[in-house]
Amino acid sequence: MKMDPRITAYAVGELQGRERELFETELSASSTLHDEVNSMTKLVDRLTASTKLDEHFHPEEKDRLLAQCIGNLKSRTRAKKTIIGSLLALAAGLVAFAGLAGIMHQSGPFKWTNLAPLRSTSQEPSPTIVSGNAKPQVAKADTKSETATSATLEPKAMLVPNNNTALVARGAQRQRMQNMSLSLESPNRCVALSDRMACGENLPAPQPSQDNFKFKRSPSSQSEAFNNESYARIRETDFFTAKENPLSTFSIDVDTASYSNVRRFLVEERTPPADAIRTEELINYFRYDYPQPSGENAFSVNLERNHAPWNPEHELVRIGIKGRELPAEDRGPANLVFLIDVSGSMNSPDKLPLLQRSLFALVENLSNDDRVAIVTYAGSSGLVLDSTSGKEKREILAAISNLRSGGSTNGSGGIKLAYETARQNFLKGGNNRVILCTDGDFNVGVTDQGGLQKLIETERESGVFLSVLGFGRGNLKDSTMETLADKGNGNYAYIDSISEGRKVLVEQMGSTLFTIAKDVKIQVEFNPARVAGYRLIGYENRLLAKEDFNNDKIDAGEIGAGHTVTALYEIIPAGQTVQGSPSVDPLKYQQTEPKVVTASNEILTVKVRYKAPDRQKSSLIEIPLAASEIPSADKASEDFRFAAAVAAFGMKLRGSPHVGEIPWAEIQDIARGALGKDPGSYRAEFLTLVEKAKALQRGN
Amino acid sequence: MNPEQIITEALDNYESLLISYAWEITGDMESAKDAVQETFLRLSRQNLSDLQPRLRPWLFVVCRNCALDSVRKVVKFSADSVEDHDRASEDPSPDERAMATEEGRRIWGLVADLPSQQREIVKLKFEAGLSYKEMAEILKTSVSTIGVQLHEAMETLRSRWNRETTEVA
Repeated sequence: MKMDPRITAYAVGELQGRERELFETELSASSTLHDEVNSMTKLVDRLTASTKLDEHFHPEEKDRLLAQCIGNLKSRTRAKKTIIGSLLALAAGLVAFAGLAGIMHQSGPFKWTNLAPLRSTSQEPSPTIVSGNAKPQVAKADTKSETATSATLEPKAMLVPNNNTALVARGAQRQRMQNMSLSLESPNRCVALSDRMACGENLPAPQPSQDNFKFKRSPSSQSEAFNNESYARIRETDFFTAKENPLSTFSIDVDTASYSNVRRFLVEERTPPADAIRTEELINYFRYDYPQPSGENAFSVNLERNHAPWNPEHELVRIGIKGRELPAEDRGPANLVFLIDVSGSMNSPDKLPLLQRSLFALVENLSNDDRVAIVTYAGSSGLVLDSTSGKEKREILAAISNLRSGGSTNGSGGIKLAYETARQNFLKGGNNRVILCTDGDFNVGVTDQGGLQKLIETERESGVFLSVLGFGRGNLKDSTMETLADKGNGNYAYIDSISEGRKVLVEQMGSTLFTIAKDVKIQVEFNPARVAGYRLIGYENRLLAKEDFNNDKIDAGEIGAGHTVTALYEIIPAGQTVQGSPSVDPLKYQQTEPKVVTASNEILTVKVRYKAPDRQKSSLIEIPLAASEIPSADKASEDFRFAAAVAAFGMKLRGSPHVGEIPWAEIQDIARGALGKDPGSYRAEFLTLVEKAKALQRGN
Repeated sequence: MNPEQIITEALDNYESLLISYAWEITGDMESAKDAVQETFLRLSRQNLSDLQPRLRPWLFVVCRNCALDSVRKVVKFSADSVEDHDRASEDPSPDERAMATEEGRRIWGLVADLPSQQREIVKLKFEAGLSYKEMAEILKTSVSTIGVQLHEAMETLRSRWNRETTEVA
């Protein structure tokens, strides 16, 4: 029988509009289809009619819960009122400091080794970390001017000894003491304040039984319990057997936000929640030196294979994609509309002031044909700067420096205004884009999430894309931001420092801002004669149904000029058993015939589907990988080794069972041996993050 | 509506749905109820007026996370086991509870045999009445994947139902 999900969709009323009309036409023409729909509808009725929900809380239980909730509501309002004054007083000082950090930074290219003298001021050793013979902890002083500043406020909170914190936990409704030391520094500093407030305030130590804290290490709750950051759950992909699941399909992901977010956590000596670690984004944060595409192709696809560093019996296959580089003059002019959140919560040095500094850097690099407009929302809302030519740099700079945050009125229509401005100044063949800059409040004038997504999707069709820049901490709606950028054919970056701001807005302006191919999907077919099992590393949120690969209606990731995208597959070669793959009982009514496997020397075939930015029909690139002898590990390219090290780092940090016992030091060694030219010293910085992760784990 | 009203109403409306959903994941009633309690406590720390328009998917996402956390805890945080987790067999299955009708008992019994992701989708659709879009948000996948998986589940249910009915006849 043909698999037709529309039958179910129709029966449950999910088919709408044009699709529904089409389906009904087919329906009236085919009696088989008609019968199928009928019997499906009966099943739907049967299921709906027989749900019976009879589980409730005990009335007392319910009253108690309600009372606790209401208590929380009240303490939330109280906390907001009491800290708002001190926050405002502090803000002035912080802004001054941020300016200083910015100036210091701009004196030269970023090198973590130069920052040593600043380190000691920015970190107080945390009492919960067993330092042993650990070196002094490194913090990139320029990445978090706030971190540095708040150090002067911290000792009071940070010096709460372990047994005190245990007291706090005892007051908690349920004790979940194991591993709690990890999450302690954050409650000390940010207790359940209002989610809109930045952490690092001069707070009293947490009071027992004030709130229903549950200290636990569970990856996502760690962040949710103490601030309002939210992350989509990631379930790591398991091994699939090549015989039963020969196809693996996913959408590319060019986002890099996860890396800077993870960096922020590690610099603050906190373990990032597992769900904040998107391994593919860590890998894709770095540039890889793949060759330019040849001929007319929009990008090149580069395969490489070697042993997996964490399991020598397994192989690692890298798929590296490189988008065509466009010289600046071929890039087409840019028509950028910045949609900037100026709500009160943006009033923190790592938010609006950091955005302003990043924008200054962008403006310096504008050409005369480019246009920039600024729309603000949430505070004072409206068109702050009408679309202005790159010639008028002074005017643009003035508008940027005049941005002020404050207030919390609903900036109605902010996003519509931004899109309208972009459309009015549409540059044909150019890069037309709305860039949403926020710390997580999507009070952009369209309140419900669905409506917002729909709006973004509609605008995407008109050729105006959306990118999202995330700022600050404590209120980061990671998953929502990622979704919005995806819907808008854009990307999502998290900006935690002026160097990151420069990287995203200046260095990568070509790729961040100029899409050369959209809806890029990858499907890999594995040859069961050569591959027993495989596992895609990362991309958990990007997996697609295999049918979606050839369906041009399915939205997927975009790739920018000169951008690289890397995916890694861990492969169990044929002849070994695949552990952990969910087993299925043999079918009773169908003999599972041993399928005829075409004799082939190939391990796998990579198929890449993509559309030109202005096309609706996709093109296909197909590249097989032949089975040849695997070269020794040191023969692998630097890019391969470095990507493998980052993958191992991400998995180990997530506590993945797949990465085995590989020690941090080994990950560091692999990366160190694969730094290559390392423009911008991003790879060198990675080494310090591994160091931090190592120290954190030791302290745990 | 003021925040107090939002919470009270949400508790009235979603209590049973969420308990049933969490039960599906944890397989035991006590941790299911714990997960739902935790969900509402977290809700009370949110900015409710901002959250209200998307309250329903939010509740299911958070409830799912809480329920999975408790499953994780049991299996010592091994991500592997979360995937493989299945209800301890001695616990009564959520779907074995008394159904209003014999027919209902039978059909939901078939649901219990579906693969876990499909089971979850069927419950979210027919018990909680969520849309494909909301389910996609909760399960972090695409609307079309939800469509494919629900259809697969429905096809399986239909053929098993027909088979049983024929056998009975």
